[in-house]
Amino acid sequence: MNLSFFDQFSSPSLLGIPLILLSLLFPALLFPSPGNRWVNSRLSTIQLWLLHLITKQLMIPLNKNGHKWALMLTSLMVMLLTINLLGLLPYTFTPTTQLSMNMALAFPLWLATLLTGLRNKPSASLAHLLPEGTPTPLIPALILIETTSLLIRPLALGVRLTANLTAGHLLIQLISTASVALAPILPAVSILTMAILLLLTILEVAVAMIQAYVFVLLLSLYLQENI
Amino acid sequence: MPQLNPAPWFSIMVMTWLTLALLIQPKLLNFTTTNPPSDKPPLATKPTPWAWPWT
Repeated sequence: MNLSFFDQFSSPSLLGIPLILLSLLFPALLFPSPGNRWVNSRLSTIQLWLLHLITKQLMIPLNKNGHKWALMLTSLMVMLLTINLLGLLPYTFTPTTQLSMNMALAFPLWLATLLTGLRNKPSASLAHLLPEGTPTPLIPALILIETTSLLIRPLALGVRLTANLTAGHLLIQLISTASVALAPILPAVSILTMAILLLLTILEVAVAMIQAYVFVLLLSLYLQENI
Repeated sequence: MPQLNPAPWFSIMVMTWLTLALLIQPKLLNFTTTNPPSDKPPLATKPTPWAWPWT
């Protein structure tokens, strides 16, 4: 069968076994649990430093109640970061290109922040639907707009991550195909295309890290409003 | 777009949450940070007196 450029994103399965499970389980192998020692291995020390940095950065704007979310947000950040970066290796599958996975993460977590706010401080969390200093005649329209923007948040969270990663992988595949196709015809142009591919890959590494960060940051922002 | 094929959606959603909750979170809990090193306090702490006899 002839493959199109989108077929790299179909969830792989072998004899009915979904192989996405391998891509999901592998990141956990890259974070070996540090032993019960004062000084651990270099890998564990570096990972500990990184986790401490991530947790600190996420917890600074949150109040004491928000610190209950530390494990959830940090583990989400670690998982997304690792999955995104591993997907840039050749012949790997990136689960975060799947809308199903990103919506499964975005929707319940956003809903959790919303319900936390509505349960613990309902007036304050509903008050976010009307920005301060709105002229009176604009109030009904603005409440509708703010409600829409609130309800679209989980969709935006999920689709943002999916689209960024899908577009990146697609671009990489397109430009590498162009480079390979041009090699016998116009070798100089092919080498230029490979240079562009190198720059694009560096960009994709940045995008992978930034998109994971943005996902978790936005969730923490939604949490700040509601906790 | 193959991501919109609804067939694997449920299994992917379940597998994602199971990995996040059962694999990654317990692993990260084992990463405990130590307190940053600090100088010794300048004064020795006073021993607190106690009411019951020595014996």
